[in-house]
Amino acid sequence: MTPSGPPSRPIAVTGVGLVTPAGIGADDTWKGVCAGRSPAARNPVLAGLPVDISCTVPGFSAREHVGRRSSLAHDRFSQLCITAAREAVADAGLDPRTWDGVRVGVVVGCGLGGVATWETQHRRMLEKGPAAVSALLIPMLVPNMAAGHVAMDLRAKGPNLVTATACASGATAIGTALQLLRDGSCDVVVAGGAEAGVSPLMVTGFAQMGALSRRLDVPSAASRPFDADRDGFVIGEGSGMLVLEREADARARRAKVRARIAGYGASADAYHMTAPDPEGAGVLRALRTALLGADITPQEVDHVNAHGTSTPLNDAAEAKVLRRLLGEGPAVTSTKGVTGHTLGAAGAIEAALTVLTVENSLIPPTANLERQDPEVELDIVAGLPRERRVEVAVSNSFGFGGQNAVLVITAA
Amino acid sequence: MSVMYGRLVDLLVDRFEVDRAEIGPDTTFEDLDMDSLFLVELLLVIHSDFGVNVSDDAASPGDTITEVADLIERLATAEAPA
Repeated sequence: MTPSGPPSRPIAVTGVGLVTPAGIGADDTWKGVCAGRSPAARNPVLAGLPVDISCTVPGFSAREHVGRRSSLAHDRFSQLCITAAREAVADAGLDPRTWDGVRVGVVVGCGLGGVATWETQHRRMLEKGPAAVSALLIPMLVPNMAAGHVAMDLRAKGPNLVTATACASGATAIGTALQLLRDGSCDVVVAGGAEAGVSPLMVTGFAQMGALSRRLDVPSAASRPFDADRDGFVIGEGSGMLVLEREADARARRAKVRARIAGYGASADAYHMTAPDPEGAGVLRALRTALLGADITPQEVDHVNAHGTSTPLNDAAEAKVLRRLLGEGPAVTSTKGVTGHTLGAAGAIEAALTVLTVENSLIPPTANLERQDPEVELDIVAGLPRERRVEVAVSNSFGFGGQNAVLVITAA
Repeated sequence: MSVMYGRLVDLLVDRFEVDRAEIGPDTTFEDLDMDSLFLVELLLVIHSDFGVNVSDDAASPGDTITEVADLIERLATAEAPA
């Protein structure tokens, strides 16, 4: 089935907020991603584990960024999300003290939730007994709390949702926000994703399933999407948040429209718990749906911010689908070479980076691409960022369970 | 100020990252941005660190540091072996 009727109106992106391993804030993140250097490093929290490298947000002080109370009572994924959301709202020129909060929605993609809190408190219970378990355990760990805290912080009283489609969660959140705006449920939606899953148990779990890179001696070279020698992803953490509005509303208040979300497609592979469908049928459907909804032909796509995890299976399957549907035209990059894989936040971080790509006419390079996999028959941007006018970009996100989300982002 | 008052202040500073300068005898937990859930957490820590069991409904965010320190002192005395 394909969408019918005229394309729906695009939605304006008026604010961008980013907290990633490449930097705190959209500007720092953008510079870090364009520099194409991975900040992956050994992590003391993971010492002694089979995989002990990760991409964490450098210099993030919870107390400095979200205050004392939140530094104690919120898990890190919520802290990162609040920080990114505040930046996005300020960037949009909106003031939560004066807006009509009931018309403001919040949608946050999150795959894991407060897993570090869970692990810490579980250990305390085993070592010291139930009396040592924090009263804050549940509100810290449940995955809806990033969205809840953002709503409290911003006085956003409209629909408050969490999307959990694994590593597509952040993109699914933005797609859901698009729908909330198009159907009139909200006038403003603060949407994105957040994750802080760099914990011993989570990293071990991903390592046990063979998803993580074992290039431990040179951590900065471990995440290498589309490279012939890729061997898995590097786990990361972060948050990306956007402010979305109907374009007419944004123009009426003279806001700067940074880009547009023009289309969204979602699908399921219905194939395997973790492996992508090798034929990419589900991804293909999501891509087609997103392009049709945006009234854009495959030939018009200038750029793809690929899911590009750096795992052998994902990159091969994704490359096959992109080549089949879009041909040789688009310049493709995977920003996970720098940020690592931020799981439930990835789709939102990458959508935000795609907005910056469109806005700056600059495509960041894929870090560590030294020898392109000959089976990846795509124009992968590597080395230096590439200057190119990007009118139409696609941001791909795929999650375990075969859940796919594709966003079409166009120039304003 | 009592010894228990000092211990409670130290706990708030060390475990709850409250600035010592913010705390005075008449400061309430609300003044420190500590709501009912935070107070439950504080009482759990008091139980763990001081060995004194203060029930959830015995203290409220509107209480002052002095009032809660006195309450802990009274309960500690009552629970002490004869």
